[in-house]
Amino acid sequence: MAKTSAFPAVAFALTVLAGLLVGAGSALAFMKHGAAEVQRGWSGSRVTGSVDADPWTRAQVALTGLLALNASQAMYFRRSADDAGQPLRESCRYRVAGGPLPGRWWSVTVYAADDYLPRNDDGALSFDATRVQPDGSGHWQAEVSRSRPAGPIPWASSRLAGHFDLTLRLYNPAPSAQRDLASIPLPSVTRIDCAGGEGA
Amino acid sequence: MTRRFGLLLAFMLAVAVGHVATIQVAPTAIMRVAMDRLSDRGALINRFKFSPRVTAQSRWVVRPSPDLAYASCTYDLSKGPILVEVPPSPDGSYASVSVFAGNTDNIAVFDTLRSPKGIRFVLQPQNLSVEAGVPVVYSPSTKGIILDRRLAPTAQAFAVVDRARRADRCAPL
Repeated sequence: MAKTSAFPAVAFALTVLAGLLVGAGSALAFMKHGAAEVQRGWSGSRVTGSVDADPWTRAQVALTGLLALNASQAMYFRRSADDAGQPLRESCRYRVAGGPLPGRWWSVTVYAADDYLPRNDDGALSFDATRVQPDGSGHWQAEVSRSRPAGPIPWASSRLAGHFDLTLRLYNPAPSAQRDLASIPLPSVTRIDCAGGEGA
Repeated sequence: MTRRFGLLLAFMLAVAVGHVATIQVAPTAIMRVAMDRLSDRGALINRFKFSPRVTAQSRWVVRPSPDLAYASCTYDLSKGPILVEVPPSPDGSYASVSVFAGNTDNIAVFDTLRSPKGIRFVLQPQNLSVEAGVPVVYSPSTKGIILDRRLAPTAQAFAVVDRARRADRCAPL
């Protein structure tokens, strides 16, 4: 008798426990891969770090960008795919190209899937506005790959990064950039080639 | 049938509760871990800690920038306000000081573009009013983090700004 009356309570408890776990898991998945505005393949948010951020944005920043500045000071953009929509991979070479960006200073950094810098000792984890060499019209190019390019082009190493992403930081962004993400001429990311002959 | 429907309803409600609770609790929980790390497990409170140059091995916070020099102060306002003083870098390059509440919100930020001679402000709890004579930042939480970021994309630049940031102060009034 006691056995049959206990069953519904046990089933109920297990059901609630499973639901809580699924709910927590969905929250963690959102925090890791949640939605954001996408411009030219880069995702970003105007409310990152802001007191106006909604709970989901705040939680996402806490997990993947803790201590991020608000948009009045810095804007953060991230992408994990090239311009063709293919995931960024250590085995491929990429050309990053752009023009003047509306801010005081900017940088592009490679991060591995664990949200940390790739564990290589190449001393080339990023490139920034002080290292690119713009032409007469302000356009610049850089390379992201696992081995240093032959020419003098700025380079960020993706060695030991696996499937990686790029983060662009724009410091002291112009007011127009803060108001309208679409107005920012974010750089292109084009696959040059891949190990094993898989070309762009 | 009724029992199955009841279990399904309980499951759906539990999913919603688990999702929202995780979203609500995560920022504060993650911030607590960060404060614990940055204060050397509570040993460095209301004092700046100067992080070494970011390398591929750096794991003190997610997504550190290898182009910046960081100094952090884990603050505790339970005994009153603190005064924060941060000098500029010698070459006038980018430097900023940002204040984060216990829920990760960036509640204030100062930079050397607007304060070229250095940054100075008082940080105090919202329920306290102090005549400070300098800009005042009110924190909604008793504890949080202050972060000094300085542009230092090379080892040489890092050495220069490292000397400047050693004059950072974060101490009770």
